[in-house]
Amino acid sequence: MEFIDYYKILELDRSATQADIKKAYRRLARKLHPDLNPNDKDAQARFQQINEAHEVLSDPEKRKKYDQYGKDWKHAEQFENAQRQQNTQGGGFQGGFGGGFGGGDQGSYSGSFDDDTFSEFFEQMFGGGRGSTRGSRQSHYKGQDFNAELQLNLRDVYTSQKQTLTVNGRNIRLTIPAGVEHGQTIKIKGHGGPGVQGGPKGDLYLTFNIINNTPFKREKENLFKTEEIDLYTALLGGEITTETFNGKVKLIVKPETQTGTKIKLRGKGFPKYKKVDQFGDLFITYQVVMPTNLSEKEKQLFKELQKLRS
Amino acid sequence: MNLEEFVSTHELCERYRVEQTFIRSLSDSGLIEVVEISHKKYIHCDKLTEFEKMRRLHYDLEINVEGLEAIHHLLKQVKQLQKKNRQLRNRLNLYE
Repeated sequence: MEFIDYYKILELDRSATQADIKKAYRRLARKLHPDLNPNDKDAQARFQQINEAHEVLSDPEKRKKYDQYGKDWKHAEQFENAQRQQNTQGGGFQGGFGGGFGGGDQGSYSGSFDDDTFSEFFEQMFGGGRGSTRGSRQSHYKGQDFNAELQLNLRDVYTSQKQTLTVNGRNIRLTIPAGVEHGQTIKIKGHGGPGVQGGPKGDLYLTFNIINNTPFKREKENLFKTEEIDLYTALLGGEITTETFNGKVKLIVKPETQTGTKIKLRGKGFPKYKKVDQFGDLFITYQVVMPTNLSEKEKQLFKELQKLRS
Repeated sequence: MNLEEFVSTHELCERYRVEQTFIRSLSDSGLIEVVEISHKKYIHCDKLTEFEKMRRLHYDLEINVEGLEAIHHLLKQVKQLQKKNRQLRNRLNLYE
């Protein structure tokens, strides 16, 4: 994990007063508060950062520790412990932070400082929970809302299906309604973080990332597909078989069908979201494929046809 | 009417440490619907999230009720635009 410059996050210099910190925090909180930036992950991440920065810098004791240890803040407690031990044993601590503290009882922090453990600074270094942006009013407060992304194939969401997700180590069984759209977010109540001091649990917001690896294009509940037909079927008419999402169907191609002609297969589209047994339509666009590698005889016959037309 | 689906404003005040006047202001400005049942005031559970949001904005960011009204209105527009944007992006896939 990289060093996090809390001063930079709050757009302050190191000589900032408590009033400056408060003012900067308030200004940025108003700009980046998640309630004011729905579905904006960047704003949420930055809000988390300014909270943490404020949490540290607004507390003179924490700020002092942070200022003292600088980029090694994440090892501050270990450093202090190690220093204490060294002092108790009569020897000075000389190793600095370079070697880490992997051995013995002091190894408990090793490997835990990855990008996802930004908050451990507070939990481990200062002993408290994440603290809050909300001051003393946060007691009895709703838990944190979680955001997750679920990747599914288009075929997966053609029917309702049960999925088991693991969110923060907990298995959640949920039914995903057929027809859910790419980018759509659903709220799963009570599956977010635990409430604060008896408050209700937060919610889980699940955004669907739907991969379309089918020949169909989709817009809401309607599907679109291009069907190639040969020149002779296009000219004289005929019967072709086409794939729909739920099986093959036979189509009658009218004589003299042009490229770009669209037909609609009613009810052969995608399920309508949360509407049982209701489906959109499938739109098929014909594309006439010209024959290639003509034989001499074919060329001759086409020339005769051309003469008939001119 | 199932009372279990409602939370009394009295309880809300205690639980969230807010003043009755705050809830009344939200109700007066149409931000939260308060219903009266047997001379007691309640809000529906489904409105709790919205109430909590207003509470956070008011107490965390010191935004007054007029500001909350404006935010409520603009957030509604943002969400509609985000939805529209998503739909248009999905539609754009048809031509890509």
